[in-house]
Amino acid sequence: MVIVGGGITGCAIAREITRYTPDVVVLEKESDVACGASKANNAEVHSGIGEDAGTLKQKLNVRGNYLYDEFVRGLGVDFKRQGLIIVVTPRSVPEEAARQLSDEELRELLERKIPEGIVAYGEKAGIKGLRVLSRSEVLQREPNVTPEAVAGVFDPNYGLVCPYKLTIALAESAVINGARVFTNTEVTGIRVEDGRVRGVVTGRGEISTGLVVNAAGVFADEVAEMAGAGGFRIHPRKGATLLFDREVTSEYVRSSVALFRMPGMKKEHSKGGGAMPTIEGNLQLGPTAVEVEDKYDTSISAEEIEEIFERFHYLLPEFPREAVISAFSGVRAPTLEEDFVIEASDRVHGFINVAGIQSPGLASAPAIVEMVMGFLHEMGIPRNPRPDFDPVRPAVPRFAELSDDERDRLIREDPRWGHIVCRCEYVSEAEVVRAIHSLIPARDLDAVKRRTRVGMGRCQGGFCTHRVAAILARELGIPVTEVTKSGEGSAVFMGETKDILARGRGEADRS
Amino acid sequence: MKARKPDCVVIGAGPAGLGAALAAHEAGLKDVLLIERDVELGGILPQCIHDGFGSIIFKETLTGPQYAQRFIDRVEKTDIEVKLNTMVLDLKPDRTITAVNAREGIMEIRPRSLVLAMGCRERTRHQILIPGYRPAGVICAGAAQRDINIEGLLPGRRVVILGSGDIGLIMARRFTLEGAEVEGVYEIMDHPGGLTRNVVQCLHDYDIPLHLSHTVTFIHGRKRVEAVTVSRVGDDLKPLPGTERLVPCDTLVLSVGLIPENELSKKAGVVLDPATGGPLVDERMETTVEGIFACGNVMNVFDLVDYVTHTAEVAGRAAAEYVLAKGRRRREAPLRVEPGRNVKFVVPQLLRGFEREVSFYFRVQHPEKAVRSRLVAGGEVLAGRRAKMVRPPEMVRVKAGPEELKSVREMGEVRIEVLPEAGAGGNGAGEETGDDVA
Repeated sequence: MVIVGGGITGCAIAREITRYTPDVVVLEKESDVACGASKANNAEVHSGIGEDAGTLKQKLNVRGNYLYDEFVRGLGVDFKRQGLIIVVTPRSVPEEAARQLSDEELRELLERKIPEGIVAYGEKAGIKGLRVLSRSEVLQREPNVTPEAVAGVFDPNYGLVCPYKLTIALAESAVINGARVFTNTEVTGIRVEDGRVRGVVTGRGEISTGLVVNAAGVFADEVAEMAGAGGFRIHPRKGATLLFDREVTSEYVRSSVALFRMPGMKKEHSKGGGAMPTIEGNLQLGPTAVEVEDKYDTSISAEEIEEIFERFHYLLPEFPREAVISAFSGVRAPTLEEDFVIEASDRVHGFINVAGIQSPGLASAPAIVEMVMGFLHEMGIPRNPRPDFDPVRPAVPRFAELSDDERDRLIREDPRWGHIVCRCEYVSEAEVVRAIHSLIPARDLDAVKRRTRVGMGRCQGGFCTHRVAAILARELGIPVTEVTKSGEGSAVFMGETKDILARGRGEADRS
Repeated sequence: MKARKPDCVVIGAGPAGLGAALAAHEAGLKDVLLIERDVELGGILPQCIHDGFGSIIFKETLTGPQYAQRFIDRVEKTDIEVKLNTMVLDLKPDRTITAVNAREGIMEIRPRSLVLAMGCRERTRHQILIPGYRPAGVICAGAAQRDINIEGLLPGRRVVILGSGDIGLIMARRFTLEGAEVEGVYEIMDHPGGLTRNVVQCLHDYDIPLHLSHTVTFIHGRKRVEAVTVSRVGDDLKPLPGTERLVPCDTLVLSVGLIPENELSKKAGVVLDPATGGPLVDERMETTVEGIFACGNVMNVFDLVDYVTHTAEVAGRAAAEYVLAKGRRRREAPLRVEPGRNVKFVVPQLLRGFEREVSFYFRVQHPEKAVRSRLVAGGEVLAGRRAKMVRPPEMVRVKAGPEELKSVREMGEVRIEVLPEAGAGGNGAGEETGDDVA
């Protein structure tokens, strides 16, 4: 049983399979799990309110959200339902439409009809607990929202989770239960004989298997073609987000906040984005939605930055522009139909596509898992859980979150807990060492960062990069000049001092 | 948990912290504790192996390590307690410190006085929102300097430098001396950000081009930097379409400003000045929280270490006086020192005492030729200083003695301003000679 792709979808499926059989392998071409859209999204567990009625996306989103508390149980990952406030303002309605209404009619539309309409729409999709908010309720809950707010809707189901930590936790839980995860392993072919899957060819050799789950994200169409089980196309669409210093923006918004726009007003295919806290307390603004040619295009353009600033200048007039500490882009994996493609191939027996998983993929993951397990059980995965399945993947202690007594106790056991390497996020050497030797080992700076938050603070690694690089070199037994930021080709240092002088200018110029 | 109650704790053992600890000790405090999160004393100085330090205080030019060593040697001859590798985690308005190190675990310390000397940090690419990818090879100039001068590692071979602050200029030369190729230094403003002497000694002497009114508008390369796009900017500092040029390189070094490190100050409830990014201080370098003093780059970013040392001595002495007065001191309501014409900010911002000489440090808003900087109270010019040229990167100092300050107290107001020489006037008191720093 082979899963192609170590994102949230692939790792969640792998973990669920180990509930029944340890015989599962995850193949990931990057140097770590959660290297695609799973690391660069807005960390939101949506409710389904933003999805089109009748789509598989909405169905799985609503179901996935409902299952989330159970899904993360035992994984040692924080999950919090912060809720969403959909804000209605005069800009929620197209200008031409507004002009045709009397003031009273417009007020009625904004204050009552739209919010009630949103609630009715959500309830029809099975979303529970929605309620209309008055203007004063909106502003009381979210004082930084534009005073132009007229009304709102509160959706209590929205949740926050750290998507890469969850992906890593799922992968580790799978490993605890016998799965194997191979990083730096790119799938180059699927061997199919007599209409059945026989094996997966990788850059590191072939694995014989009769069952393949294609969870390859933006590359899912290419992997499906390798098996002759394609028929859909992924067109990459990137989304950029700005992230703010949590010291400045903690509680800047308490729930996620989004501006409601009448259908047809949305630009491109995106839920329109919003202002969201992260589970750690940073404000995020975004994402954008830009069609790109290159599936690796995780750049952020000046236009996108400008667009985010403009858009949120309206929703949150005073947001602290100067407190941006990071900006990132992720690439969504939509199909032309914009819906999830989750199917057991009828052409290639043993091949399951889990494709087109863009937002709300993070929220839908538990329901996607349910659906895929349905196929897998039919294809022969045992239906009875293993008695020895261990549902617990212990939480990783974080110095920053411990009490002083707990810190003291850990330092007495291992003094490296008292050596703070990241001064912005208070990460200790012990945490970095643990990450390097964890079940899914962190072998580069970004992998350590995702596990420990080292370098994620306001200095963005200015003070700690050389320290973490030195620890990586020591623990991996490699020269520090071989330490990378994110796998092959991303060396942090270009050599040692005097290298160029010793070898002469000529060589330096050629390199 | 071990609770200690020293006379004075100094947080940070760079030039500011070393100077403050020594001054507090020399002013009569017996139990002074110096806390440093790094592995050695000296702060940023050990990596500043170029010369040019100490021209005012020692009347000679030293390297950074030499300058630091003079203070380290003095500290070592005292019984000042030093804790290295020790990180302050929390600070309360009553000066209670929570700190940690590997040897002693979590410590609680309740000093009778406290000096903030945490220095500053570098602005990153995200704070200036450079578009593009996030590959390896984008590094701040100070971090690159540390890699080369302390770690013996070379962050890049083909380098573009954004920002002509002093560290950027010095790193242009440093990379060149290592045999790396520095394609150029790009500066968004129409004038260099660093000291004139550094433009001459670090760029001109090595034929490194300085592109004024230019900025980096895109970082290329998914894994490691492959190139940057540079563009000319207009008067509004926005990139001009059509002026883009692709510059192949493996490294982008950023020298785009420094930010005082005041996370702990904020925890202590110290009020910050939005103009400097550092605490509001009075002439004793006392912050708005009684018994908490600040000095050096935590207050505002200085361009000369000599000035850092001077503020440290004031702060250390004042911390000692505070402790020795045992609470008998009366804290007057402060007088605000107003920044006047062509003055961006002034430190100290507040005046509470008028008995001793005060050095006012300030930066101008824009370059100006043939000017007089002056201290004005109630329309009367109290002190002044002529200059052929003032530029934002070069801090100006104006001193005022007890005589002038007496007038300030009587007038109940004071302002610092820069005027063209013709209309300046003034009695010349407090004028400095001999240490113009260009």
